[in-house]
Amino acid sequence: MAVINQKKSKVSDEIPTASMADIAFLLLIFFLVTTVFPKDKGLEVVLPEQGEEVAVSQNNILHLIVRTDGIVDVKRGESTSIQQMRPDDIETLWRTEVTSNPNLIAAVKTHPDAAHRFMIDVLDALQLAGAERISLQLLEDF
Amino acid sequence: MAIRSGGLDKKSKASSEIPSSSLADIAFLLLIFFMVSTVFRTDKDRPIEWAEAAATEKIDEKTKNILNIWVERDGSIWINDSPVPMAEVSDVVLPLYAASEQHLVISIRGDRDTPYSFMDILQQELVSAGVVRVVFATALERQMTRARR
Repeated sequence: MAVINQKKSKVSDEIPTASMADIAFLLLIFFLVTTVFPKDKGLEVVLPEQGEEVAVSQNNILHLIVRTDGIVDVKRGESTSIQQMRPDDIETLWRTEVTSNPNLIAAVKTHPDAAHRFMIDVLDALQLAGAERISLQLLEDF
Repeated sequence: MAIRSGGLDKKSKASSEIPSSSLADIAFLLLIFFMVSTVFRTDKDRPIEWAEAAATEKIDEKTKNILNIWVERDGSIWINDSPVPMAEVSDVVLPLYAASEQHLVISIRGDRDTPYSFMDILQQELVSAGVVRVVFATALERQMTRARR
């Protein structure tokens, strides 16, 4: 009979795709959980090359002496007058100093026992102020 | 004709369901995105407390060209999950620096309370290894906390 031929087979010839999204989401969540975004950020400095020493006029140096308590002694060139500052105030100091002398170099001298974060505070303030000529040193005569 | 039945008998052809056939495509797109953007870490984090800085910037270098040097509070140095004596840092860094064709960036991950004398010796070691680009790893300091300080 013609009716039999017209009846379609009930078994589907397609691969079931209903669970595809579930599989995809399972994988997605797995990678979401296992992904660790690296924490690669910080303050960049350029180290001098070995044996590289440049004589700089004392007039072009701003000495920033980082003490153990985080207070910064500011000394201009060869003058003996010392100005005490908090690291946050270095930013405005640098901006005013550098407009009067564009060749100014910041010499950050840190006390050997001062915590790393105090040096970072000063470096942070200098970089916020756009300073590029920065020298990091260890305070020797204290 | 539709007009004869007033157009009421005919069912609307628009489906009332949200089409879900493209769901798998979206999921796979996200999957592939995360697979490509995932970078597996080479070394485990040491337990240090980060120093904070408002000028913190992302390092403009590929992750494979960044070498982490961990400096703990007592001055002990860790490179690639192993402790390294301070005097041998340059010997460890020098071949890595050469292998990266001078592209290596050193990320100094110092604890916020590390005495600066250790950081200075480390910098001397890096200078003798010929390294130029160094980053002091810091956490981003929000301007809000800065104002409170």
